[in-house]
Amino acid sequence: MKVLVIEDELEISKSVCKYLQNEQFICETAFTFDEAVEKISLYEYACILLDIGLPDGSGLNLLAQLKKENKSDGVLIISAKNSLDDKVAGLKAGADDYLAKPFHLSELGARVTAIIRRKSFDGKNEIRVDNLALDLNNKSASADEKIIDLTRKEYDLLLYFISNKNRVISKNAIAEHLWGDNMDLADNYDFIYTHIKNLRKKLIQAGCKDYIRSVYGLGYKFERPF
Amino acid sequence: MKLFSTYNKFNLLATVLIFVLASAAYYFLLRFVLIDQLDESLKIEQEEIESFVQKYRQLPEVIPVKDQAIQFVTTSTSQKDSFATLVAYDKVEKDTVEFRQLSFTVKPDGSTWYLATVAKSMEGTENLIQSIIVITICTIVLILFASFIINRLLLKRLWQPFYETLQLLTDFKVGNKGAVKLPVSKIEEFSLMNNIVQEAISRADQDYLLLKEFTENASHEMQTPLAIIRSKLDLLIQEENLTPGQGENVQALYEAIDKLSKLNKSLLLLTKIENNQFNDVSTISLSDKLHEKLHQFQEIIAGKNITIVKHIKPVTILMNDDLADILLNNLISNSLKHNFYGGSIYVDLTGKRELTISNTSHGNELSKERLFTRFYKEGDPRESTGLGLSILKQICIVSGCTIKYDHTAEIHSFTVQW
Repeated sequence: MKVLVIEDELEISKSVCKYLQNEQFICETAFTFDEAVEKISLYEYACILLDIGLPDGSGLNLLAQLKKENKSDGVLIISAKNSLDDKVAGLKAGADDYLAKPFHLSELGARVTAIIRRKSFDGKNEIRVDNLALDLNNKSASADEKIIDLTRKEYDLLLYFISNKNRVISKNAIAEHLWGDNMDLADNYDFIYTHIKNLRKKLIQAGCKDYIRSVYGLGYKFERPF
Repeated sequence: MKLFSTYNKFNLLATVLIFVLASAAYYFLLRFVLIDQLDESLKIEQEEIESFVQKYRQLPEVIPVKDQAIQFVTTSTSQKDSFATLVAYDKVEKDTVEFRQLSFTVKPDGSTWYLATVAKSMEGTENLIQSIIVITICTIVLILFASFIINRLLLKRLWQPFYETLQLLTDFKVGNKGAVKLPVSKIEEFSLMNNIVQEAISRADQDYLLLKEFTENASHEMQTPLAIIRSKLDLLIQEENLTPGQGENVQALYEAIDKLSKLNKSLLLLTKIENNQFNDVSTISLSDKLHEKLHQFQEIIAGKNITIVKHIKPVTILMNDDLADILLNNLISNSLKHNFYGGSIYVDLTGKRELTISNTSHGNELSKERLFTRFYKEGDPRESTGLGLSILKQICIVSGCTIKYDHTAEIHSFTVQW
């Protein structure tokens, strides 16, 4: 699956590509409006990451062009303008999601996989990892077809982990994902620890492997244990 | 005191003074002229008597005439002609009257000198002074009355453009969309004032726009480097061979970036609220929102073992939805943040157009004056941006609410009234 990153800032583009690139994704980049127009018309992408503020044109015009050409590429807008108007305008113009800078790469990863999932599985919304299954419609998880009793936050957390499989997610990214950025409680890392501990316990009790491990004390990683 | 009243005070005072002085001068001048005329007629009388004496060599017979008296008395020597003003009793008028008198000597038979006195009443001049006083008083009253009428009717209309401009300025808010249109006036001073005011308003608007643009641009420009740093950190922790020490450093970097990013977002939010960019209001259920928010925070509430004591009645409020969201978010997260393990939060929305959220805290009472100013921090400043309460205050200002803070025995409470 190919992902196109339309972003004029070289370092952000590089980071995003490096993070997304794996056995599943091939990442392509465009740094200008014209370059993006060319690539969009030539190829099909599973997801397009679109910076609204390009130096030679607005990303919103690109969106309009995509619609005109009847392309079904998923679009995630990334913008330095964390303003509601931009968000509304972007989503109205046909974008699938919106992410404001500065974002965590893990958040971006989760959003991109969510968009691709929605586009490619057409309603059949289930993710499987070994015997663990996530039903995206009902927002529930089950192991060997038996429902695991997860709280809403634990489910969100599990989905976030699976969307960023094999990658380290920082505690800050988890906190922001679960509670949003207006949540600046002094000791929310403790809550993350508690949440993850509970999630692990529930998964193991349900008969899953112990997928989640702590990394350097600053984050967590979801991977198949050796 | 109004400008015109002040002006009028001096103007009327001067007018009355000048009038009184002019009346006095008028009186004296007229009196002088009248006396001069009396003297003329007395002289004619003298000439008549002298010519009679010369012709008939004897004194004329004295016939009593109204307002005039002629007398002859013998005297030893010849005297010069002399005029005098006397006060005497007038038998006809039965009153003391002023007289103008001319004395001269005649010698009808060539041996005896006679002193002749011819006197005429000056009653006319007395009438004159009375009329002048009456006219003066009447004129002064008329002037006062006229100026009052002018003040009430004409000046009100004349000053109309001034008050219109004043009203427009009162309603003027910098950054408000729609240009201020000042009334056109034919009066030079007002038109000059309006031009200058118009210029000042445009300049203020322009400066404000520039400043707003600058704040927004500065914040946006900061987002990109922040995004780069954060993404590089996200990549850095993917490396397999970080030492624990490096891990700690990266964590510290994460926290600093988080804080900077939050600060930036808060400043942008504050600017947007101040710019009235959240101006679409709707009727929202504050009670539902409150329940929803408390639900959102439930893990943290449980994690801190905090008891929520809530009295919530169904209440709706006319407010911007996003702002109501931020308001409740800030109030609740503050009450959690500054709470202690096992503490309590009291939520009171019992329909008196006010919402109170109180929390237990070991913290000292906050400064009521400085509480809502930007970057005010009390106690442990590490995790706070110092903007949360300013945002609350600003939301209240644009939503027409008031917010107040109270502190009693380890309980801090914030009350929003609308």
